[in-house]
Amino acid sequence: MQKQPENPLRYQEDGNVHMDFHGAVNTTIDFIVERYGVDVLHEIFAKVGKDVYVDLRRHMQAGDPNELARHWQHFFAREGADFDIVVGEDEIVLTVRHCPAFHHVAKIAPAVSPHFCDQTIKVNDAIAEGTPFRVDTEITGPGACRQVIRRRT
Amino acid sequence: MIPSDHFTRFYNEVFKFLETRGQADLDLYWLEISKNQERHILDLIETKGLEGMRQYWSVIEEEENCDLQLTVDDTHLELHMNKCPSLTKAMDNDAKPMERYCDHCAGWIGPIMDKTGYHLVYDVISRTEPRCVMRIFKDEKDAREAEKSVLLLMGWPGRQQPAS
Repeated sequence: MQKQPENPLRYQEDGNVHMDFHGAVNTTIDFIVERYGVDVLHEIFAKVGKDVYVDLRRHMQAGDPNELARHWQHFFAREGADFDIVVGEDEIVLTVRHCPAFHHVAKIAPAVSPHFCDQTIKVNDAIAEGTPFRVDTEITGPGACRQVIRRRT
Repeated sequence: MIPSDHFTRFYNEVFKFLETRGQADLDLYWLEISKNQERHILDLIETKGLEGMRQYWSVIEEEENCDLQLTVDDTHLELHMNKCPSLTKAMDNDAKPMERYCDHCAGWIGPIMDKTGYHLVYDVISRTEPRCVMRIFKDEKDAREAEKSVLLLMGWPGRQQPAS
């Protein structure tokens, strides 16, 4: 039997990628932290997780964490990351060995913000908040991390 | 990682926060983004002038998947954005777009043109349509003349336009 094509992601993309946007994210992070403090930065990332990624949250709330794994697969592949995703019985693990965002910023900006990876941690937290799942993000090195979706106990 | 494809939706959330703090805060942020963008465009302008600008926006056209026309002659650069991917994504968004989302473009480009001695005329046309016309002139007189025929003229930090 022919496999049915998957539904597109809510924000499915094709075409080219503009990696320099990551530099603007880095600049924005420094600007917000310096002027308003890190809590405001985290509030903005939480808004991204909750208000922009409504569809990912909807899937999580409905007990389907695979949509977030599809999102990871699509966008890390588009940006040429070195990564893998392992879907297990109890958890889904994304291992990023070379984050394209971090390494692009390291190449073009004077410094990568110490809060650069907060975007991943806080957006993941917000996507998972109020759902049956947690998304734990562990930074394992410069431009490397492990992101794990687990059912809450 | 917020994917680079989703940067504009993050940008939109930043604008909405800054708007609650007032125009002065938005202006400071656009100046910061303008400084960030100098890394990508300033040397091109200073060494090649209008041709350097053409090179910069040609890369943007390709990398950001823009539908635009770009022309340069001895006196000015003209960019007609037929479908702006930035506003299109901000509007195709489960989060509400900031009403003055378009203002950020002139907000970062204007200060660079002031710094390099060029004259920007930015016609957003409408803040709810993903199209605009940007003209950059060598001669200020030509810019002032071009301003007479715009539909919605944008200002930037250091050059405010009448509120629209």
